[in-house]
Amino acid sequence: MAKVYKQVPFAAIVPSPQTENEGMITGNWRFLRPVVDKEQCTECKTCYIYCPDACVNFAKADGVSFNLKYCKGCGICSNVCPVGAISRVPELDFDE
Amino acid sequence: MPIKKKGTGLTAVADAWQLADIDVSASYPIRPYTAVMAELAKRIANGTMQCEMVHGEGEHAQFSIAHGASMAGARATTGSSGVGVTYAFETYSPIAGSRCPIQALVGDRTLDPPGDFGSEHTDCLTLRDNGWIFGWAQDAQESLDNSLMYFRIGEDPDIMLPQIVAMDGYFVTHIAQDYIMPDQDQVDKFLPKFNPKFRLDVKNPVIMGPQIEPEMGPPLEWDRHVVMTKVKEKIVEVTEEFGKVFGRKYAPFVEEYLTEDADMVFVLQGAHAVTCRSAIKYLREAGFKIGLCRLRWFRPFPDTALAQILTKFKVAGVIDTGTSYGAPCSGGVLSTEVKAAMSEVAGKPIIQSFTSGLGGETITHEEFFAMAEMMKQTLQAGKIIQGGTWVNFNDYHEGASQINAAKHEAAPSK
Repeated sequence: MAKVYKQVPFAAIVPSPQTENEGMITGNWRFLRPVVDKEQCTECKTCYIYCPDACVNFAKADGVSFNLKYCKGCGICSNVCPVGAISRVPELDFDE
Repeated sequence: MPIKKKGTGLTAVADAWQLADIDVSASYPIRPYTAVMAELAKRIANGTMQCEMVHGEGEHAQFSIAHGASMAGARATTGSSGVGVTYAFETYSPIAGSRCPIQALVGDRTLDPPGDFGSEHTDCLTLRDNGWIFGWAQDAQESLDNSLMYFRIGEDPDIMLPQIVAMDGYFVTHIAQDYIMPDQDQVDKFLPKFNPKFRLDVKNPVIMGPQIEPEMGPPLEWDRHVVMTKVKEKIVEVTEEFGKVFGRKYAPFVEEYLTEDADMVFVLQGAHAVTCRSAIKYLREAGFKIGLCRLRWFRPFPDTALAQILTKFKVAGVIDTGTSYGAPCSGGVLSTEVKAAMSEVAGKPIIQSFTSGLGGETITHEEFFAMAEMMKQTLQAGKIIQGGTWVNFNDYHEGASQINAAKHEAAPSK
């Protein structure tokens, strides 16, 4: 039986803005995961500005979180954090 | 009214772009492309042309600017030559993949090293696998006409692919010749305004060129493959309509010259066809039944048209003015493609590969005579005696001097 590929719109052009596109999950590319130390985080939002994949979320009441479905582990958030609150931890250290 | 002008291939393309009312042109200097950017800049500065001209900091930026402009809905142009073409290489597949029909002008120039300003087709041929449509013009008139036809084909809603108007550096880009500049009304009738279905627009935002999963890649590549097959039908349709509107009729894929009774034929593309035609006149006087098939398109490759035409002949000598080191039969890209296109065709001719005119060298009459002599010996033997010939590098030119003598004795046919 022939393999069924995912349907793709013309030139992969998709509507915007949208925070999540279920057809294009790219978090499985990552081998280092950003982890925030909430004791140190000042919620300055620098990481939010710099994240190229819009994965940093301040919507929740308990401060910064990362949308790991799309985070590719590039480390830009960790590099730009002015207080060193974000570290990069190998994916193999996590169970899920 | 159409007017007769004297100009180069590059001024002819600048005229085509002005008539096409382009919105954006991205530039970065490199010879021989530079003259078209200078021509556009002059016209914009003088107020005779309305166009946003953006200067990149290199060829990669230059093609990226054109890409962005096209995404925003502009009719965008750019161009380059030689190593400039290859410096922008990363941008070609994304431009074709996002189906942006920008038009680039490539004035061929040899690739380094060493620095050589001469023409050969190698720079443009490196782009054959990226989903751009292109072919070579033989003179200024054809450069102008191709440019208008390419816009029309590339911007068709069923196609939406970028195009390259390729021309031999200096032979076409810089030699002044007469050409007819069409009337604005004619061009407006032939070429509608560019109106893409998708564009970057704050009122209707879309994401272009997003990251995708591997499973989504093959369908996108399949789309590009299928649309390339549609381009062939569109070429036939547009070439015919061009003839009706402008009165200049071109063969859609392959131009034939003195092939009616020929049993041997030269196959080439680009400006060397001009010398080839005059060499054929002398060869005919010397008793050679030889003609010329000039390819007007390289991508999509006109395999069906070529197969139909070449079966009429016994020997086809494919002349490459570019290189592909280590390619089969010591040939270049064109000869490899012609052989592949003919591989399953019944009654195909013996196909012989020649490489000539590298580094901007003119292919002289004597060199055409030498190639014809080799083809004649192939014809008599019924097989290739010496394959993959780099003209002037093989000890096989005895025939050339004999034909050369015949040339001086016989007057050319008018």
